[in-house]
Amino acid sequence: MYKLLLPALALLAAGSARAQNTCATAVPVGLGLHTVDAVNGTPATPYCAASGGASAAEWFTFTATADTVIRVSTNVPGYPTVDTRVHVYTGTCGALACHAGDDDSGPGYSSICNFSVTAGTTYIIAFDNRWTSNGFTFSVEEYSAPPPPPPPVSLFPFTSTGVGVNGIAALDMNNDGLDDIVGVSSTMVTILQQQPGGGFQPVNIPTPQADNSPSWSMAAGDIDSNGQNDLMYGGGSGVTFMMANSDGTAYTEVSFPQYIFSQRTNMVDINNDGHLDAFVCHDVAANVAFMNDGTGTLTFTQGGFGPTCGNYGSLWTDWDNDGDQDLFIAKCGCDPVDQIMRNNGNGTFTEMNAALGFADSHQSWSSAWGDFDNDGDMDVLVGASSSGYHKLMRNNGDGSFTNITAGSGIDSFNGQSIEWTTHDYDNDGWLDIHGGGAILKNNGDGTFTVSNNVPGNGPVADLNNDGFLDVVNGSTLLVNTPNDNNWMRVRLIGTVSNKSAIGARITITTASGSQIREIRSGDGFRYMSTLYAHFGLGSEEEVTQIAIRWPSGIVQIIENPAINTLHTITEEIGTGVAEATRSDVNVFPVPATDVLNVTGIAANSPVRVLDAAGRTLLTGNLLNGRINVAALPAGAYVLEATTAEGRVVRTFTKE
Amino acid sequence: MKKIALLLLLAVAVLISCTKDPVADVAPLAPADGPDQVVFDPAQVPYPTLSAYRFFKRPMRAQVPVASVLPYAPISSLFTDYAEKARFVWMPAGSKATYDGDGNALQFPESSVLIKNFYYDGVQPGNTRRIIETRILFKRNGQWEFADYVWNAEQTEAYLDMAGSTTPVTWTDANGVTRSIQYRIPSAGECQMCHKIGNTPVPIGPKPQNLNADHAFADGVRNQLKKWVEHGILEPGYPKNIMTTVAWDDPTEPLELRARSYLDANCAHCHAPDRQCSYRAIRFQYNNNGGAANQGICMEPEEPVDPSLTYNIAPGNVARSMVHFRMGSNDEALGMPLIGTSLVHAEGLALIEQYINSLNQTCN
Repeated sequence: MYKLLLPALALLAAGSARAQNTCATAVPVGLGLHTVDAVNGTPATPYCAASGGASAAEWFTFTATADTVIRVSTNVPGYPTVDTRVHVYTGTCGALACHAGDDDSGPGYSSICNFSVTAGTTYIIAFDNRWTSNGFTFSVEEYSAPPPPPPPVSLFPFTSTGVGVNGIAALDMNNDGLDDIVGVSSTMVTILQQQPGGGFQPVNIPTPQADNSPSWSMAAGDIDSNGQNDLMYGGGSGVTFMMANSDGTAYTEVSFPQYIFSQRTNMVDINNDGHLDAFVCHDVAANVAFMNDGTGTLTFTQGGFGPTCGNYGSLWTDWDNDGDQDLFIAKCGCDPVDQIMRNNGNGTFTEMNAALGFADSHQSWSSAWGDFDNDGDMDVLVGASSSGYHKLMRNNGDGSFTNITAGSGIDSFNGQSIEWTTHDYDNDGWLDIHGGGAILKNNGDGTFTVSNNVPGNGPVADLNNDGFLDVVNGSTLLVNTPNDNNWMRVRLIGTVSNKSAIGARITITTASGSQIREIRSGDGFRYMSTLYAHFGLGSEEEVTQIAIRWPSGIVQIIENPAINTLHTITEEIGTGVAEATRSDVNVFPVPATDVLNVTGIAANSPVRVLDAAGRTLLTGNLLNGRINVAALPAGAYVLEATTAEGRVVRTFTKE
Repeated sequence: MKKIALLLLLAVAVLISCTKDPVADVAPLAPADGPDQVVFDPAQVPYPTLSAYRFFKRPMRAQVPVASVLPYAPISSLFTDYAEKARFVWMPAGSKATYDGDGNALQFPESSVLIKNFYYDGVQPGNTRRIIETRILFKRNGQWEFADYVWNAEQTEAYLDMAGSTTPVTWTDANGVTRSIQYRIPSAGECQMCHKIGNTPVPIGPKPQNLNADHAFADGVRNQLKKWVEHGILEPGYPKNIMTTVAWDDPTEPLELRARSYLDANCAHCHAPDRQCSYRAIRFQYNNNGGAANQGICMEPEEPVDPSLTYNIAPGNVARSMVHFRMGSNDEALGMPLIGTSLVHAEGLALIEQYINSLNQTCN
C-alpha cells in the first residue's frame, strides 16, 4: 500500500488508499519522498537484485523527462531504515525486463539503486518483501554524480540459468558422451540429461527409500561393472549406495548399518585388483573403505587410513607417479594435521606428513590436486576453511614437495571455503583453482590472479558440450563463456582396470609441452564432477599424442588425435580379439597364492596369463579347472581363456 | 491382610528357592525396598544389561533410583526431539566430586556413573510411556567411557548396544500435538562427537553453572549442589557466587540470559574451545566466552551458506542471522545442532528469534 507524503497527501489521499497493488495498477511517482505502509501487492519477477524469493511487492512507475540518472533510495534521512529490496524494469507487465536493482547498498540493509533513464521511457519500480513486509519511505531523485564505472570484467565470465534441480553431481549418466546433472532425494534420482542440441531432458527414477542421504557428499562410478554409474550417498550417520541396473532405469539400495559421520566420499580401486572400491572420510572415527569382491558386493572395512577424527576431504591421486592411488586427507577440527599417505602397492599405506612438509595444523575441508606447473606431477593447494592460511605445495617429482605459497598471489588471498577444486576454466592449458569465493587464474608462471566475480563451488562438467567447463551451483547452472582457445576431452572405459577408469592418468602432448589429468571420483568436499578428463589447449592446434596409463598398468597411446572433441578410448590389452560375455565364469581365490581355480568353462580349457601391460607370462591348459600361478610375482594379472563362445578375460591378483 | 500374608509367603519362598538353586546367569534385581546395592565392578563394566547395575528399584521402568543413586537435572537442558529425560548420578561410597570452575564439569572420582534415561509419554498407540534408551557415562582408570542400553519393547530390560540405530516413535504431547520421528539412538562415535574435550571423553551437563538451582527431590526441594554435599558425593567449600545459567523457558528471567543458557545447553558442547567445531570462531559457552563478539553478534559467518545471511547474529534481524537460519533448518548438512535432533525446536527457535529482535547494536 502506498501514499504520497505531504504536501501532496491531502490531494491524493483518496487515490492512494489502495488495498492491493499490482504491476498493472502501479502508481506513478515523480521526484520526491513516498511512503509505503506495507508490502502486500502482487509479487514481482524477475528478481533484478540478489536472489531469494518474495511473496509480495509494491509497484510504481517513473517516467523520465530527460536523459539522466535516477536514484531510488530507501535510506532517507529522518526516516527509519528498513530492510528493503528493489527491482527496476523496462517493458510491460507480463514481459518485464530487468533494468536495475538493489538489495543492501544502503546502511541497515536499505536499498540504493542508481539507474540511467531515457527521456520519454517509463520504468516500473517494484519493492518486494524478501526481508520484511513492513512499510518504509523511499526517495526518487535525480542523481547528479557521474554514473558508476561498469563493474570490472571477470576473468571467467559465466552466465546463469535455472535448472530446477538441486545438482549435487554432474557427469554422463546415460553414456551418450554428454555430461548430465544429477539431483537426488531420499526416494528419487533426477537426471537432467543433456540433449545433443543443447538443453536438458529431466528423467525421474524412483529409488527405494535411502537410509542415508548425500547430505555431506556424493561420489559416483561403476562399482559392479555393468556399464552404469552407481551413486554413493555420504550421510551424517552412514553410507548408502544406489546401484544402477544394467540400463540405468532403476536403482537397488545398498545401505550399511555402521555409523559413519560421512565427509568426502570417493570411488577408487584401493587395492588395484581391477574392481572399484569406495572410501569415505569419517569425522569422528577411523576412515572407512568398502572393498569390492569383484562382483560388485562391497565389504565394510575400517582403519588403516590415518587418525580417528577430523577427517574431512579425502582425495586419491598418484602423487608419487608410481602408478597406484595414493591418498591425501584435508583435516579439520580435531587433530587438524593433513594426512598424505603413500600407497605401498600391497594394500598398506604409509603416512608421510612430516617427511613431505604437511605436518602443520591447518583447518581445511578439501584440497585441489593438479599439475599447476605442467611438469608431469601433481601439485596441491590446501585451502583454508576458516581463519588460517592457504598452502601451495609444488611436487618436485622426486618424492618431495616445496612450499611455494609466498609470492604466488595465493599468500595474499584471504578467501576461505570448504570447497577447493582445480580445473582449466579458460582452456589456456593451465589449471585454475576454484574456492574461497574466487577463481584463482593460473598465470602459468607460479603466480595466480584472483577473479572474484565467479560462481560458487559445485559440480563441474561440460553441460552445453562446447568444450568449456560449466559449474552447477544449487539449482543454477553457470554456463562458461567460450573463448578462442582449443580443448580436448577424454572419456575412458576400463576393461582390465575398473570400468570407470578411475585412477587412470592421461597425458597429452603438444608443441608447448605436456599436461596430465587423472580420472577421479570425488574432489573438493561435497560434489561429484565429470568423469571425463578435460584439457584446455590454449592456441595449440595440434595434439601429438594422448598417452593413457590405466590403473592396470597398461599404457595406451593415441597418435595425432583431433582437437576440440571428446575421444572415447577403451582399455586394450593387446590381443584385439573380441571378448565373450560370460557372467558365469569365475576365478578364485583372489588374491591367489599358488593355485587359481577357474569355474564356468571346460576344466581343460586353453588359457594364458598376462601381466597388466599385456605380456604373456603363462600359457597352457587348465588341469581339472586349475592353473598353478605360484611362479608369478605378486601383482595384478589377466587370465584369458579360450572357450567355444570366444575369449573370456578375468582379472586376479597374486599375493 | 490376606494379600500381605501371601506376599510375605512368596518372598520367603523366593529366598528359599534362591538359596537352593542359584541361577548365576540372570543378574539379581534390587528389591523394592531392600538395601542399596548398586553393582559396579570396574573389571566387568559395561554389563550386558542395565538391570545388572541395580541403579533402580523394581520394576526398573518406574525409574525410581535406589537410595545411593541421586537424581539431578540441569537448569536448561539439551533439546533431543522432545524426548523426556531422567538423570541420575552414583559414586562409590566415600568418594566425592570436586568443584573445578563454574563452567567446567565437576571433577568426578573413579567409578562415578552418570545415568540418563530417554523416554516419551503419550506414545501411540496406547498413549503409554516408552523408555527408549539409557545412556551411561562411567569413569574407569581416570577416563570416561560410554555405554548405551536400549530398552526392550516389554520395558523390562535394556541391553548394551554401541552400534547406534534408529527406532520410530509416534507420540502425542500434553498439548495434543502428535509427532512422528525416527528416533536416533547414538553409536559410540556419536556420543564422542559431543562428549569430548580434545578427543578425550567428558560429561557435559554436571557443571556448577547448570546444577546451582533447586530441584524437587523425593524428600523435598533442595539446591542440587547442597544436596550433593549432603548426599556425600560433593566436596563442600565450592564458591558461593557461581555464575549460574537460567531456565531458557522461564519468562521471568532476563531474555539475554535465557538465550545464552539455551545456546550453552544446545550448542556449546561443539562451539567452545577444543570441541568438535572449535575451528569456527563462534563461542556459545555461558561462562568465559569473550563477550558479544564471540557469541556471534555482528560476526560474519565463515561458511557463507547464502550471502544474504550477513552475520551469525544480525541484531534485530533474524532473516539475516545465520544462527537463526541453521536452527530453523532440517537439512542434515545445514541445520543445527549437527546431531541429536531431527525436528526443529520451535520453542527454542522462537526464543532465539525474540532475543535477536531485542538486539539493536549497529554492526560495523
